[in-house]
Amino acid sequence: MGHPINPAQPARQAERSEAGGFETLGVSLDIGGIAILNDISLPFPKGEFVALVGHNGSGKSTLLRIMARQQRPGAGSVLYDGQDVHRLDDRNFARKIGYLPQDVTAGADMTVRELVACGRYPWHGPLGRFTDTDARKVDEALSATHLDGMAGRLVGTLSGGERQRAWIATLIAQDSECLLLDEPTAALDVAHQIEILNLVRKLCGERGVGVVIVLHDINLAARFCDRIHALAHGRVVASGSPKVIVSSESLKRIYGIDMGVIAHPGLDIPLAYVA
Amino acid sequence: MTAVARRPFRAGPAVLALVLAALAAAAVLALLAADPAFDGGAGDPMATLVLVHSTLPRLATALIAGAALGLSGGLFQQVLRNPMASPTTLGVSAGANLGLVVATLLMPGLLGFGRDLVALAGSAAAACVVLFLGARRGFSPFSMVLSGLVISLWCGALAAILTLLNDRYLVSLFIWGAGSLSQQSWDVPLTLLFRFVAVAVCSVLILRPLSVMELGEESAAALGVKVARLRVMAVAAAVVLAAFVTSAVGVIGFVGLVAPIVARLAGARRTSEILVWASVIGGAVLLFVDAGLQIVAGRFSEFLPTGAITAVFGSPLLLLLLPRLKTRHRMLPPAQTPRRPLVKGRKTALLVAAGLAVAVLVGLLLGRSVDGGWALAYGTTAGELLPIRAPKVVATLASGALLAVAGAMLQRLTGNEMASPEVLGISAGATFGVAAAIFLLPAPQLAGQLGAASIGAFAVLGVILATSLRSGLAPERILIAGIALGAMVDAVVGVLSSLGDPRALLLMRWMSGSTYAVNAGTAGIVAAAAALLIILALLFRRWLDLLPLGPVHSRALGVPTTLSRLVLFVLAGLMTAAATLSVGPLSFIGLMGPHLAREIGLARALPHMAGAAALGGGLMVLADWIGRTAFFPYQVPAGLVSALVGAPFLILVLRRRA
Repeated sequence: MGHPINPAQPARQAERSEAGGFETLGVSLDIGGIAILNDISLPFPKGEFVALVGHNGSGKSTLLRIMARQQRPGAGSVLYDGQDVHRLDDRNFARKIGYLPQDVTAGADMTVRELVACGRYPWHGPLGRFTDTDARKVDEALSATHLDGMAGRLVGTLSGGERQRAWIATLIAQDSECLLLDEPTAALDVAHQIEILNLVRKLCGERGVGVVIVLHDINLAARFCDRIHALAHGRVVASGSPKVIVSSESLKRIYGIDMGVIAHPGLDIPLAYVA
Repeated sequence: MTAVARRPFRAGPAVLALVLAALAAAAVLALLAADPAFDGGAGDPMATLVLVHSTLPRLATALIAGAALGLSGGLFQQVLRNPMASPTTLGVSAGANLGLVVATLLMPGLLGFGRDLVALAGSAAAACVVLFLGARRGFSPFSMVLSGLVISLWCGALAAILTLLNDRYLVSLFIWGAGSLSQQSWDVPLTLLFRFVAVAVCSVLILRPLSVMELGEESAAALGVKVARLRVMAVAAAVVLAAFVTSAVGVIGFVGLVAPIVARLAGARRTSEILVWASVIGGAVLLFVDAGLQIVAGRFSEFLPTGAITAVFGSPLLLLLLPRLKTRHRMLPPAQTPRRPLVKGRKTALLVAAGLAVAVLVGLLLGRSVDGGWALAYGTTAGELLPIRAPKVVATLASGALLAVAGAMLQRLTGNEMASPEVLGISAGATFGVAAAIFLLPAPQLAGQLGAASIGAFAVLGVILATSLRSGLAPERILIAGIALGAMVDAVVGVLSSLGDPRALLLMRWMSGSTYAVNAGTAGIVAAAAALLIILALLFRRWLDLLPLGPVHSRALGVPTTLSRLVLFVLAGLMTAAATLSVGPLSFIGLMGPHLAREIGLARALPHMAGAAALGGGLMVLADWIGRTAFFPYQVPAGLVSALVGAPFLILVLRRRA
């Protein structure tokens, strides 16, 4: 799928951060007296590719779930374009925001095209007609993810990478402005991880879709994302461009171990390694 | 197993058991103090005789049966790592009961040969079916309990209906079946004690590996436990205990479920603690309930089945415990490999429509003539017969379609293949309404019965929705709540029936789902309801396409989860109530229709529901036709026929898909 697009484009980043997008304001969450998230205030500017990183249990997936309205925050609020997301009605929210949870085992008995067509629900609703526009959007999503040839296959027969692509196609068909992706690369080998991230990066670049992605691999985050927010123990410990985040000192704060940083031999990005 | 079990308060179970034992002892003392053998008539030999040979053995039986059930439930819960497992919820007791009823009717000689063996065969068969269904879902607690309760319902319905068909002959069996502890000698408690001790010793032998199972299947295997063999042994021990108890005193509901849970809540943590305290608590609880029952009901208690009483109190407890179902288990998606349809596209629709047409024509035109031979109605005969047969065919067709669509909706809504209108408790609610009408009103006509049934159905639906509203109407909560309420209503109906009132038979006749009373008026009403409700259901096809993806995905796509669940559950409830009124509460068409439709490759909501409606309607018409002709001149109720054929067939289908 070609070379990855050079991620660091600070000029575009600055110009877009004025234009709305997600913003969390003092989001906190306690479960059984244990603080999962503590006063998280972070910007997620429109059209940017933002990574959420952190150790296991740092609260990054929970924050994403709260942004996706799958869970209510204990305190604080989540704004999208300056509006509290909980004030949007369900279908309006789904037209703006697409969410891909970690668990994508559902839908095994649908064909790929049927699954992708599910993404049109926020537009046609429970009783509306499935219009030609809907059909066209589904076709576009299938070709954007190179699934045209597999449209008639059952989702249950796809490999891990293909299934992940089918779900991303569903989100593309949903035609939302911002995608929230919860570790979409978790169960994939390195080639398929790159394939998925390239695909998402391309969406971000070509369609101006904003992306918030939870990633485990700090190097992948640095390579593909415009901005990285790092959480540790439910607090923000670092936030900024990949170059700022990937330094020995902030990596120590994020993961609690000593890590070294070298320059990427081919690209202008840092590479972290375990010392 | 639950969060509560982490409390380091180890004296808890002992203290609690002591309190329960003290309560039981107090009840026993109060009972004995009022006994005529002590109460003034000290020299009365008759009173002493009753005390020694009836009252005391009964109390001993209660103690031992309770302990055995507690141990059985404890074993089930530990080995399956399922906090809701018990002889009642896994259908084991009901299986034993059905085995005994069938043996009594078909081969009474077999009972003399070995009553326990018959019970054991029944309960083992039920356990095998439930475990087989559970294994396909990684023994997920919710799935297991759901299949167990479906098996329970089926066995219970079959046993009840067999009793009905043999009327008076089996009334004593019916009282026993509902769990009566009354005794005439020391034989039963002594043999039961001997068996309980034998199985208890066996369970001590598997205690070590069973404790390791707490770590989970894979870790236990890594530590050298032969998991499959251990599971078989522990389940066998639990099944044997439940079968012995059922064989001795009938079905005692919920003690096996409650005792281990109470032990755990009191702080028992390790397997050994849970098993020991579950036995002690089970014995104390049953003794307390039985002694209390004898005090309250007096001499009348001979005929009041203790088992039904424990079910009446146990079901609400099950509701209370629902929030604790969040254990280490994760709900597993069905382990099904998707399959391509056998026939494609239009052909399927054509085949289904043709099948439906054949069923209707057979139902209308083919029958038995007066001399018993087969006769095809035509010409003037048809003109005379059609006005009689058409309402039955229309009513069964509409009811079958309603139940099948309701089943398809519930299965899509819950993502569970064992979901059906029967387990939603609505059918039981309708039954309860009719029972109330029959017993409370002087002579309720059909219209009165229908009204009472609707009120009952909606009362149950209301309670279910109210109790699950806090969880956002989580489907699994609703199903278990429905089953718990259904079991309670069944128990109440059981108590009413065991009073020996002739009106009970009227109720059971209605329960078995006979179309005997259907006339043109009822048929019209059911048909109109079916047309309206099924069209409504089809309108919600989009929700039903998305909801099976799970709450996270469907919410992400903008489906209002709570609202859509509410609308669809109410719709399914209406459909069930309307259908129950004409074909009775237990037909299993609501399970069969959707499964068949899926089997022929109708996967999307719209074709799935339409196919289920056609297949369910056709099957119900055929069931009614078989019921009318197979045992001519007798009629077998349509609901009974479809349940008899349907449940085994369903297991075959699920097996094929595994």
